[in-house]
Amino acid sequence: MERISKNIVLSLAKGLMLRLSDEEAENIVAEFDTLLKQLDLLDQIDTTDVQEMIYPFEEPTDFFREDIVDHVLPIEDVLYNAPLEEEGYFVIPKVVKD
Amino acid sequence: MFANRKTENIEKEVMDALQSARRQQPYLNAVVSFLDVEDAIEAAKSSSGKLAGLPIVLKDNVLTKGIRTTGSVAILDNYIGAYDATITTKLKEAGVVIIAKSALDGLGMGGTGTNSHTGLVHNPYDLNRMAGGSSSGSAALVASGAVSFAIGSDTGDSVRKPASFVGIVGVKPTYGRISRYGIIPYASSLDHVGYFTRSVEDAALALEVLAGRDDKDMTSSFREVESYLSNLNGDLSGKTIGILGNVIDSIKNKETLEIFDHLIEKCVTAGAKVKVITMDHKLLQTCLPVYYIIANSEATANHSNLDGVRFGMQEWGDSLEELMTNSRTKGFNFLLQKRFVIGSYSLADENQDLLLRKAQKVRRLLVEEFKNTLAEVDVLVAPASSDVAPLLTDKSADQLSARYLIAENYMVLGNFSGYPSMTIPMGKINGLPIGINITAKPFEEQVMFDVALGMEHLTGCKNMVAEVIV
Repeated sequence: MERISKNIVLSLAKGLMLRLSDEEAENIVAEFDTLLKQLDLLDQIDTTDVQEMIYPFEEPTDFFREDIVDHVLPIEDVLYNAPLEEEGYFVIPKVVKD
Repeated sequence: MFANRKTENIEKEVMDALQSARRQQPYLNAVVSFLDVEDAIEAAKSSSGKLAGLPIVLKDNVLTKGIRTTGSVAILDNYIGAYDATITTKLKEAGVVIIAKSALDGLGMGGTGTNSHTGLVHNPYDLNRMAGGSSSGSAALVASGAVSFAIGSDTGDSVRKPASFVGIVGVKPTYGRISRYGIIPYASSLDHVGYFTRSVEDAALALEVLAGRDDKDMTSSFREVESYLSNLNGDLSGKTIGILGNVIDSIKNKETLEIFDHLIEKCVTAGAKVKVITMDHKLLQTCLPVYYIIANSEATANHSNLDGVRFGMQEWGDSLEELMTNSRTKGFNFLLQKRFVIGSYSLADENQDLLLRKAQKVRRLLVEEFKNTLAEVDVLVAPASSDVAPLLTDKSADQLSARYLIAENYMVLGNFSGYPSMTIPMGKINGLPIGINITAKPFEEQVMFDVALGMEHLTGCKNMVAEVIV
């Protein structure tokens, strides 16, 4: 695989809502270099006609429950951790500017 | 030991544990929060649960209603649990007294104990060495004798590796055996609740308390929970033990191999049959990159809700985007940021086939090979680490060597496959413990515990404590 550039790292970080310094971005580029060598090992494995494995077991563990309200957290318990809260709502910066 | 125990004085037992953990805190740095225990002591006095009055520690990624739960990251430093995890409820019903929440590598991401928001966690056998991770604090507190039971979680080997480094028992049961409801996730297809004890009997009893179906975790199993403790049988005669030859071949440390070989010889004398089994080497070398891609991709998605808006630490900004960026940049340390970037790269549309889906396909091949390997034997064993706990200053691992790619990372097969896997101590090198890993077929925890008990009898490594002298 191709070497990952600093610009790609910075662009990924922006998408993740993270602000990286130039030095940090370069550190990640270096980490990718090692990772890409490890990924070469992956490329050597033939996966033709192999299905992806998402979870360990295929034994069913889910079911459709009755459509009855169940397990509701009290609103005060949920809002207790809100950094800013007003009249039962989370407060964020104004979206529509004056 | 707490299996079959009779408690004379719950209050004294709990206060002694709390005092011990507090006394060791300046040296181990294993605790994030100490808890008020008065109400729990009173509740325990009238409990008829299997663990009535037992002081325990929870890894700080286990939710506790009304109590701070940080995941050892800055962004959750002020987070108060809005509800109890299912295992918190089960443990309370069994009568435990939770004395502390323990430090972890942030959000469970790391294997050293050097990546916690509250600083380095130290190994009680040698304070200059790592306790391992990510369940670092829980491991250190069981090894130091503060408590005899602590909860951890295991996504790669985060219970089984630290157990090796601090000379205790570390169990990761079958995927779905213990509910994960209320555990701060890392990578949902690999995460398991695990735990530490100082004896195999205690480990068997602990699983009886923790295991069972939970409709709040739709990956939890409907299978019945067995009476692991009363069924425990350490007789090794007739058991077939498989040795994972690739791991042995990649370990260069003579002392590790000598201790391991000596134990295997004793198993044979005790009546066990032994087979050396070799997996496809090329395939086994992919464990780490497969883990890295899957775990980081899932973590990136799981932790996108940590944005400073609804809970956790907030750094205000002029726009919503700026608020989130400020909060996430300040709230995650660099190691976590790095992992999110790697995860995000694997999740990008143009890379999904090449990376994520490729890794998921290789995961299937690894698990099929692992399943075939286990088909011939009752359990599969190998040293849980190539050497004793590294020094805290050690960053020398060659990340492309066979030792690193196989011996230090093969235990992730237990997470890829979901098979039950545990580490018990097998001996010491220059006074520092080292463990053996035992893996069984899915839901065959009883077989795993039986072999572990047989080996514990042979090593004599039971109830080992390294109390920090202060």
